[in-house]
Amino acid sequence: MQNSIKVERAKKNITQAGLAKLAKVSRQTINAMELGKYVPSTVLALRLAKIFEVDVSEIFTLEDSDWE
Amino acid sequence: MKSNYLFPHKYKKFGWMVLVPTLVVGLITFFNEYEPSFLNFNMPAIFMESVGFPPDQANDRLFGMVKNNILNEIIGVTLIISSLIVAFSKEKSEDEYIANIRLESLVWAVYVNYGILLLSFMFVYDFAFFRVMVFNMFTLLFFFIIRFNWQISTLQKSASYAE
Repeated sequence: MQNSIKVERAKKNITQAGLAKLAKVSRQTINAMELGKYVPSTVLALRLAKIFEVDVSEIFTLEDSDWE
Repeated sequence: MKSNYLFPHKYKKFGWMVLVPTLVVGLITFFNEYEPSFLNFNMPAIFMESVGFPPDQANDRLFGMVKNNILNEIIGVTLIISSLIVAFSKEKSEDEYIANIRLESLVWAVYVNYGILLLSFMFVYDFAFFRVMVFNMFTLLFFFIIRFNWQISTLQKSASYAE
């Protein structure tokens, strides 16, 4: 799964640490998501969408490999 | 993330402070078979079996009292409790990703622990196997603690390069 957390973060000018605080997770989690190492739960995805004021589908997009 | 099966984060440090010295003392007393006489007590016991007696002299009982040096009991209980606390205290920022790593480390630890036990089953005999069994009571938690804390520390390092 691809995500645009880094882009959205840049748009809002929030650091990883700042986003971590807003989303109530650790900075490592934000970092792991941006690197594509971790796929967040629905709850965390919805929280991020709310923080960035966009739709979840604008942050996260499925890839072909997600159907395998 | 809410997880009701973990201890508060502040317990972790306390767990370490008990675990490390107990482990050192435990290893030393185990290999030296140290049994100080002031710790000899009559303890209540269940499933008592007399070993090494011919059947007519054997005295197997369900309940009874047994003369025993309680040093190994003290160390064993302290080790198990402190390992559980260290293993299952929350991280400073416990979230779903940490929970994910926790689960992955636990599965890894179970595989490694039983892998070693399988090899020991096949190749270690007699009193040496008894020692393996003694260690095996604690190694599952130890492997988990090592793996989990190592994963967390590499995570912190990789996250600090970013940004």
